[in-house]
Amino acid sequence: MLMQGFAVAGTPENLMIALIGCFIGTVVGLLPGLGPINGVAILLPIAFAMKLPPESALILLCAVYAGCEYGGRISAILINVPGDAGAVMTTLDGYPMAKKGLAGPALSMSALASFTGALLATIGIVAFAPLLAEWAIAFGPAEYFALMVLALSCLGGLVGDSLPKAMTACLIGLLLSTVGIDANSGVYRYTFDMLHLQDGIPFIVIVIGLFAVSELMLMLQNEHTASEPITLTGRLMFSMKELMLAKWTMLRSAFSGFFIGVLPGAGATIASAMCYAMERRMAGKDHQFGNGDIRGVAAPEAANNASANGSLVPMLTLGVPGSGTTAVMIGALTLYNITPGPTLFQDQPVIVWGLIASLFIGNVMLLVLNIPLIRVFVKFLSIPNWLLVPGVAAISLVGVYAVHGTTFDLILGTLIGGVGYLLRVMNFPIAPFILGFVLGDMMEQNLRRALSISDGDVGVLFASPISIGLWVAAVAMLVGPRVMRMLEQRKAVAA
Amino acid sequence: MSERILGGVLLLVSLAGIWIGWDLQAPMSYEPVGPRAFPLLVLFLLGLCAIALMLEKKSETVWAPPPVLKRIGLLFLIVLVYALLFDKLGFMIATALMTVPVARFFGGSWKQGVVGGIGLGVGMFFFFDRLLDVALPTGLWLNGILG
Repeated sequence: MLMQGFAVAGTPENLMIALIGCFIGTVVGLLPGLGPINGVAILLPIAFAMKLPPESALILLCAVYAGCEYGGRISAILINVPGDAGAVMTTLDGYPMAKKGLAGPALSMSALASFTGALLATIGIVAFAPLLAEWAIAFGPAEYFALMVLALSCLGGLVGDSLPKAMTACLIGLLLSTVGIDANSGVYRYTFDMLHLQDGIPFIVIVIGLFAVSELMLMLQNEHTASEPITLTGRLMFSMKELMLAKWTMLRSAFSGFFIGVLPGAGATIASAMCYAMERRMAGKDHQFGNGDIRGVAAPEAANNASANGSLVPMLTLGVPGSGTTAVMIGALTLYNITPGPTLFQDQPVIVWGLIASLFIGNVMLLVLNIPLIRVFVKFLSIPNWLLVPGVAAISLVGVYAVHGTTFDLILGTLIGGVGYLLRVMNFPIAPFILGFVLGDMMEQNLRRALSISDGDVGVLFASPISIGLWVAAVAMLVGPRVMRMLEQRKAVAA
Repeated sequence: MSERILGGVLLLVSLAGIWIGWDLQAPMSYEPVGPRAFPLLVLFLLGLCAIALMLEKKSETVWAPPPVLKRIGLLFLIVLVYALLFDKLGFMIATALMTVPVARFFGGSWKQGVVGGIGLGVGMFFFFDRLLDVALPTGLWLNGILG
């Protein structure tokens, strides 16, 4: 099956698309403020408008996703500003290394760590995804409904500082997904007699509004005096000694990163923070963590790339995205009328295996792009904001316009962007919002189907052992992290 | 305070939504759960969360200082006007017009804004519309020239 995938991914056209995706991804990743979600959100409508076949579009989006995780480290190391959220931990040792004149080794080691993480995780996908899909194929609508509740509560329980805020974000997303004609009964729901709302709010309008338009406003708010990037001097490659020091760090972080990524909700940010802390603790006494230890750049980079790839597992096998970025990709699948879920491996082998194969190819490309050609990317750091921001604004609206070509969508997207800005400033996590919007329709359909089968008896939702397990897990994920935090705080106060 | 206000607004939204949603009944129904159950369930939970938001005692939102907030508001208005004119003026002119003030906000000079705007407008139009086949509005004035 994997060979078949390589045949798909290896066509000249798809190779070209993967290369372009990797390049764009790295650039988007290194630009502070723009991360994988924005990059994927902005490119999705453009890929759609270019009428790329679904497997090519998905290859493009995944290449961008993978590239972003590579790119984030460049600005983290050279200007001490993480290019995306997953690279926050990389600043801790990357920037001190660069200040000592070791920017080259920091960049090349982190590129190798990224590659290790991504490669191990892709092997993990090949090993685990088909098994998981096979197991999940027995899921009925009731189990599905419970699974989606679990996905939402994982994300809601882990992100943000407040449970009501995370839940509110998720519920607003669910609510917006009900707008439009109800597919089962033909009833108009919350369309307010507006013709344009009959088919619901287009996914792309929500995504661009929430992630791109609101980002422009946040960029104005957070505009910092841009520090000059540290120039790349001296050797570019890490030495053999440095490689030996960091090799186990990379492997350990890659493994943990992958498993953290597979869990819905816990994304690249959590993975890199956990692995950094773990390596720091394991390093013993004579470490330099915090002052430019090479293991300090290897650990978070291996972890965040592994977890980004790992988060594709629940998306491909269960149809339930585990992160904001994969939620956007699920949206991309539905744009192509492909129903994500466990049957994807059977129904769409070309897409699934093509995608997995292209991850292997893409990562080799990224490694090549990111070590010898690193100087090219460093140049992108000096794009001034006065050009970047209008450019992002224009590309965002191009994306929205590409779907239906109506002014209504453009204005709706901008308004959603304004609301998105308010929510983001008020610390509402946005990933549950988009996850709620993406899953809303599937959740409702499965709920109604389950209740149709049982003729309205709600007990069907809790009837099978699997669904009971899922419900218990959902409650635990929602409440667990907060109870743990409270216990820790109480212990700290008592001590 | 801002959390309370938002909580109040959301509570009103959920009540209004429930009020509107109450009439969402299918004229003929083949299934036990009709079109209104799911939205009503979501709205009910949203209402509960809104109350929880109002009662929660932590994490006051830190807003940007007023002058920055004013500029952010203006930026929002500019993008809104851009969205409004996107189709009518055509991509090139609308983008150029949008770029000038936005560039000024982000520390560009007038000259940089104008040159950048024209560059973005024309460059991106040809890149997307001609090279990538993503159709962009030309605006009525250009239709005659470009066809």
